[in-house]
Amino acid sequence: MSVAATRPETIIELRDATREYRGHAGTVRALDSISLSVSRGEWLAIMGPSGSGKSTLVNLLGCLDRVDAGSVRIAGKDINTLSRKELDQFRAETVGFIFQQFHLIPYLSALENIMLAQYFHSMTDRKEAMAALERVGLGDRAGHLPSELSGGEQQRVCIARALINQPPVLLADEPTGNLDAANQQIVTGLLRSLNQLGHTILMVTHDPEMAQMADRIVELHHGRIVAEREASLAPHTS
Amino acid sequence: MFPRLIMESFLRQRRRKLLAALAILLGTTAVTAMLAIGTSVGDKMNRELAAYGANIVVYPAADTLDVQVDGINIRPATAGSYLKEADLVKIKNIFWRNNITDISPELPLTVTVRTANATQQVPATGYWFHHALRSGDASWTMGAPALHPWWKLQGSWPSSGGNAIPNEIAVGSDLARQLHLHLGDTLEVQNQPERVAGIVSTGDATDHTLLVPLALAQAWMGRPGVVRRVYVSALTKPEDALARKDPDKLSPKMHDRWYCSPYANSIAYQIEETLPHTRAEQIRRIAQGESTILSRISGLMLLVALAALLAAALAVAASMTTAIVERRQEIGLMRALGATRNTIAGLFFTEITLLALGGGLLGYLLGSLLAGRIGEQVFGSSIAFNPMLLPATLLLAVVVSLAGSAPSVWQAMKMEPATILREDA
Repeated sequence: MSVAATRPETIIELRDATREYRGHAGTVRALDSISLSVSRGEWLAIMGPSGSGKSTLVNLLGCLDRVDAGSVRIAGKDINTLSRKELDQFRAETVGFIFQQFHLIPYLSALENIMLAQYFHSMTDRKEAMAALERVGLGDRAGHLPSELSGGEQQRVCIARALINQPPVLLADEPTGNLDAANQQIVTGLLRSLNQLGHTILMVTHDPEMAQMADRIVELHHGRIVAEREASLAPHTS
Repeated sequence: MFPRLIMESFLRQRRRKLLAALAILLGTTAVTAMLAIGTSVGDKMNRELAAYGANIVVYPAADTLDVQVDGINIRPATAGSYLKEADLVKIKNIFWRNNITDISPELPLTVTVRTANATQQVPATGYWFHHALRSGDASWTMGAPALHPWWKLQGSWPSSGGNAIPNEIAVGSDLARQLHLHLGDTLEVQNQPERVAGIVSTGDATDHTLLVPLALAQAWMGRPGVVRRVYVSALTKPEDALARKDPDKLSPKMHDRWYCSPYANSIAYQIEETLPHTRAEQIRRIAQGESTILSRISGLMLLVALAALLAAALAVAASMTTAIVERRQEIGLMRALGATRNTIAGLFFTEITLLALGGGLLGYLLGSLLAGRIGEQVFGSSIAFNPMLLPATLLLAVVVSLAGSAPSVWQAMKMEPATILREDA
């Protein structure tokens, strides 16, 4: 059964969210009065062609940017009302990032990369970081540098880092975009199990098959939501 | 985690760090050398300028200075007052006694010289040549040769004759030429035979005079134990605003400060205190020249030091800008993981501070060595390590490095993680 179905509490709510970028060529409206609600424990896939506003939406949901008009509420807080420092802290506590390029620090070991997220959140805990690494099946790779890990392993380190501070929201930007089929499956499995444990996942993807893993799919075009539907392969529908 | 990030940052980007450290090192080397020379140049300069004569003249208070025309004293020899030769040792007992490097009394007179060809009146001056001045257990060799190291002597200085009246004299080079005198010749002065022990070339009016032992001049005058004037060479502090104040109009506190500073004025004041009924005056030409030269040298050194620091700051700025551009992804990730702008700034400022301390320490050591070498080459004596310069050098290194890196770090603080992290997407 879907977590979203059993827990209807709204964790993310966008109301008429508008974001514009001003450049030499004029003003570009990247998001145009979007309204969207995400329930706690829901897995939402965001799709759309390049320039549709996906990145802008991810930045807003990841507390990396603010709206020009409308509002974004995450875990009950309107992020536009937070100071820059409060927003930094809120981001560290609320959002776990999973990047397409992994973004691991090349000179830190797998374990230290996870501890880095702890450090910026509060304080480091080697045991806890090790447990997170074991959870993604990389307990034996703790001392390895990112360059000594495969793409799939790096992404799993990235997932462990995203989870380490137990954020209520996981933001995955093309999490399998750089992976081969085998590693895609491992990462997808991990995301699914995290979702089943109650994590809210917001996933940007170009891959329709991957999107079908989510509870719901939102499609963007020219900064607007043009389609919204339940995914067919979501666990509760299978 | 913070020390680990700093350490790794040093291990990576080694070339860039090395370049920044090198710039800091060069800047602080120049600054340390300039500061070390600047703080000791006064003493060195004083010693150098001591070679150009006395900086204080002492004469009887009841007297006026001798009137000289073209170097010839036109005052009657018997006119005026005198100082006691025996009192001169007291000059080595004043507060700044250790700064007194030479005392040279003079007794000018006019004497009758008879040679094979003619009899004529010539000016003569009684001097100490290598006089042993004693006070308690201490002893110093003083006299005109030390005060006028540029005088060129053929032969030797006349001996003082011990307890007997000396019978040797030196002759100024022009006078020797005029009287056809050579080394070892004997001439009659004041009806006494005197041997020419030396011929002196001074480049001034002294070349037209006889230079005789003080005791001999006193005997000729019939005034044993007197001198007309005394030239004193003292190591002094360059003249500044306080030096030019009238000590009698200063507050007690300022008076103490003035008195305890080795200005030529305050040393002269102390000589007047210890030798009653005398006037001691600063010979201003040298002191003022010294002050001007020192201020020009200080200005030049300040300029060189500022240029070196500016170059270091620019090099640090360039190095940091490149380093930060190269680490954009890292900065973006840290910001996304919750690092505040201040945390990012702290990371880079800590790095640059450590670099500045390392570069500054090495710069201090190299600068001190450089100052020592310059001291040896220019002043003929080394400039000692000055530990007081270490904190100043380190502080300067840190301030310059932080200032140089501030614009780049400010850029790093303003980087938007959203933009950086999407760059590779």
